[in-house]
Amino acid sequence: MSEKTFVGKNIPKLDAREKATGQSIYAADLQLPGMLYGKIVRCWDHAHAKVLNLDLSEAVKVPGVVKVLGPKDVTQKNYNTGVLDLMVPEELGQLLGDIEDQRIFTDHVRHQGDAICGIIAESEEIAEIAAGKVKVLYEPLPVYLSAEESARPDAFQFDERKPGNRAFQLPEQMFPGNAYGWGDVDVEMAKADLIVEETFYLPKVKQCQMEPHAYVAHYDQTGRLNCWTSTQMPKCVQPKLARLFELPLSRVNLVSTTIGGGFGARLGMVFEPETCAMALAVPGRPVKVQSAREEDWVASESRHPGKYWMKLGVMKDGTPVAMDAHFTSNAGAYFTHSSGVPFTTGSWLTGMYKFGAIRYKGDTFYTNQAPSGAFRGYGNPQTNFALEQIVDQACNQLNIDPVDWRKKWHKGVGDDGWCIGVPYSSCALDECLERGAEAIGWKEKRARYANQSGTLRRGVGVGVMTHTSGAMPMLLEHTTCTVKMNEDASVVITLSCSDLGQGSHTVLKQIAADTLGMPMDEIHILVNMDAAGFDIGSHASRTTYVGGGAVIKACEDVKRQLIERAAIRLGISEEELEIEDRQVFARHDRDKRLSVKEICHTGVYNFTNPETGETNGVPGQIKGYASHFPGHNSPPFGACFAEIEVDIETGVVNVLELVIAHDIGRAINPMAVEGQLQGGAHQALGMILTEETCYDKKGLCRNNSFTDYKMLGPVDMPKLTTILVEQPDPIAPLGMKSVGEAGPVNPVGATANAISHALGIMFTEAPITPERILQALSEQKVA
Amino acid sequence: MSSRVLPQFDLLTPQSISEAVAMLAQYQGQVAVLAGGTDLLVWNYIRKLKPDYVLRLSNLDGLDYLNYVPGEGLRIGARAKVAQLLEHPDVAEKFPALHQAASTFATPQIRNMATIVGNVLRASPAGDCSCAILALGGQVLLQGPGGQRLVDIDDFWVAYGVTKRKYDELAVELRIPEPTSATRSAFIRMTRVHEDLAKLNVAVRLEMSQDTCSQARISMGCVGPTLVRLKQTEKLLNGKKITDELLQQLAASAQDEITPIDDQRSTADYRRQVAGVILRRVIEQAIETH
Repeated sequence: MSEKTFVGKNIPKLDAREKATGQSIYAADLQLPGMLYGKIVRCWDHAHAKVLNLDLSEAVKVPGVVKVLGPKDVTQKNYNTGVLDLMVPEELGQLLGDIEDQRIFTDHVRHQGDAICGIIAESEEIAEIAAGKVKVLYEPLPVYLSAEESARPDAFQFDERKPGNRAFQLPEQMFPGNAYGWGDVDVEMAKADLIVEETFYLPKVKQCQMEPHAYVAHYDQTGRLNCWTSTQMPKCVQPKLARLFELPLSRVNLVSTTIGGGFGARLGMVFEPETCAMALAVPGRPVKVQSAREEDWVASESRHPGKYWMKLGVMKDGTPVAMDAHFTSNAGAYFTHSSGVPFTTGSWLTGMYKFGAIRYKGDTFYTNQAPSGAFRGYGNPQTNFALEQIVDQACNQLNIDPVDWRKKWHKGVGDDGWCIGVPYSSCALDECLERGAEAIGWKEKRARYANQSGTLRRGVGVGVMTHTSGAMPMLLEHTTCTVKMNEDASVVITLSCSDLGQGSHTVLKQIAADTLGMPMDEIHILVNMDAAGFDIGSHASRTTYVGGGAVIKACEDVKRQLIERAAIRLGISEEELEIEDRQVFARHDRDKRLSVKEICHTGVYNFTNPETGETNGVPGQIKGYASHFPGHNSPPFGACFAEIEVDIETGVVNVLELVIAHDIGRAINPMAVEGQLQGGAHQALGMILTEETCYDKKGLCRNNSFTDYKMLGPVDMPKLTTILVEQPDPIAPLGMKSVGEAGPVNPVGATANAISHALGIMFTEAPITPERILQALSEQKVA
Repeated sequence: MSSRVLPQFDLLTPQSISEAVAMLAQYQGQVAVLAGGTDLLVWNYIRKLKPDYVLRLSNLDGLDYLNYVPGEGLRIGARAKVAQLLEHPDVAEKFPALHQAASTFATPQIRNMATIVGNVLRASPAGDCSCAILALGGQVLLQGPGGQRLVDIDDFWVAYGVTKRKYDELAVELRIPEPTSATRSAFIRMTRVHEDLAKLNVAVRLEMSQDTCSQARISMGCVGPTLVRLKQTEKLLNGKKITDELLQQLAASAQDEITPIDDQRSTADYRRQVAGVILRRVIEQAIETH
């Protein structure tokens, strides 16, 4: 694979035209014969209550209502919408304390939007009208909106298995003192010349994927449960549904529909259990369940909000002798990702700098907010907000340039990676920092903005990050791929990797085309769960890295078979043969050749001469296969630089430019990589400037729509400069490293640091709104 | 809450203004008037109103005008779109406050649908065009069964979402008076992101003679249940030479004159802190733009 025809090229996304012209079929677009419509009836008026009485009698009477399902009309099994149970060995799951605490319909409302019952009707309108006739008598229970409140000794206990409402802490058996890290933090901290200690507050931000959650489920006449869903993880949702409804995997068919954005919002199950429960109640008839945006907002997961305490000890020369940190996150109403996120949040911390000693604690408490879960970056943006700011505070106090400090103290090749015990295989962070600093004009602006007066104050800030490419060895990493050679030598690749819109199928096709040495337009990617083998799903920035690895292996398997057959036909040893230009030929005698098409064709159309008994080729259709477990996680690094301007009379922040230099290893599709960085920056700026889901005292969401919750729009976005640093990773397939989840990470720290540079004030609470800035300015009397 | 269930109403499509007025009279307050639809067709809003009838103006072709009449001012028909404010050459020159409000108003798509009169009739304290119109002054022409009447914009908004329009009247035109050569105006709004309702907006119309303001109109939004004129502050300005010191006094006065609240978009404290700042800036902008 020396010559790359497609890898490294800006190939337009395969689905771009369909999506841009409205031709893509989403689950909500599906119309099946005899289809019914389900409505999940949710509790809107309480965030915490017992259902004392559920009266469905009036709802049943609405003409067109087919069935009304209460909590007792569906499976009584509990479940956890998260998928950690499938990603770690059972013993580890038990050690982490993972529990199943969700019900399809509940009589104990734990957050606004909890599902009470379901209506199945001939139309969506009828289902909604009937839902309005469900009468529920509630007994309100005390509402807790923060970990501090629910951790109080006299607080209502959410789950008897979780005393003190602590859903998770790092398990003592694995991590003595409920902490991980290295060295003796207390001893090292005592040596520090300077200690910076701060508590940071992270907001509850929503993924805001464009497509609201929608499904169709159909329990068909053959006894199969079919579910059309845009999940990121079809091969995890399938066994979870099978277990919940006690069906063999072969009788659960997941159909992946076009994914209208994921960002973690579709990681694991969302409303598949409710939809399938309704379908099982009306065998033979498909049921469609769509959620309104407000419903999606209050009942599906968000990023974990919480409190992040951090204490950094440094010597006068900047040496970071000790880091002590504790992230107390807000789980929301159910367990879901209560162990995964606080665990991983610390990984991004321990993975970043060469601290002399470090101690990280992470725990999670139940509250009556909507459940927290997976969101692009999985704890990394939270760590970035706290870590990058506290580093800059130390640098400022020691008069050390923040870029110089980072170059000196970031981890690199051979150092323990984010997963302690797995060393970094490559690191291009120095080049990212150098090229990023150059592009933003770091030295000059840093000096120029040091002393300012006037209404508009500018600042530049830097933030670095590391992430991962797949989650091995912490979580299961496994992807299968089948490459079928058609008789005309065109190709069908069957796999179950999802494309969330990041372009993963495009990239996988580029990789396949180059590996096979054939044009992309003769390759079809088939995503069919019955046909495809396992894939853990699209998460942890893994699809190109792990899926790509599987594709390469399966394509190499095809090439091996082609050479094997050519060797037989040509009577030349396999070692002598190679493939180029869709021909298998002898290295030393190029006239001895056989076309790939000939081999594939005669493998299918294989005839035996009745007289001679000879065949016209080697029989059998060629299929390559790989069941791929990656050997590493080749973490990417990145440096982001932000330049901002603050109006000190109004507190309004104008982001002038972000420069994002990313250590991509090798960009398979540079345009797609840039897109990931730009989209990630958009989410990071939202988290840092405007976005937060808010609740009133009763625990009712105050901004469950795009009218009230504001993401930045196109006009609000700054100039974005992306720099792709390509230093191939020595272990990774093609040298590539990930980008997807890295996107929303370090623009967080860079922007916060830029604001701090402009004003001389560190903001410990995100989003950094004009309201908060003005308040801080008036307290500090900046003028 | 979004809903799949369409609100139940009968759709009325009058062919003339008199037919529209007759229908309004006949259905006695059970009618919601549909012009651009950017508020009404957000179903959450129509569900709050629960009208039995929706009367659409789509066939009243004669009402989509936006005319500048020299010596008289602007005449804006009930169906004129916000985008028309940006297309008309005289608006930018003679009514900068209104032009600036229109140019920051929502998004291009909304500007192409929303009507200026609809913005006034919505009686929201956050209306951007309305804020500019209150500063510029003007009158709403209402046509009822008994004929037409003009209501001054100063008196038009009664409470949140409530106007002086009687149920059997149709707002057919908005009139904004001709500025003099000494008239200056400007508009500023603050939002969380560009595409958002205002968290605070302000507009001024100043009659200037050299550096002295002979007469001022100041309107501010998102600081009370309706858009408000800051009349105490205007008094401080009238007849004064505009100096930095005066601007500071005005800012302090504005803070005292408003009654903001905490809501989704901002806080009462912030609005109070910033009200004076943006008042000062809008005055500076009004003077500078000439």
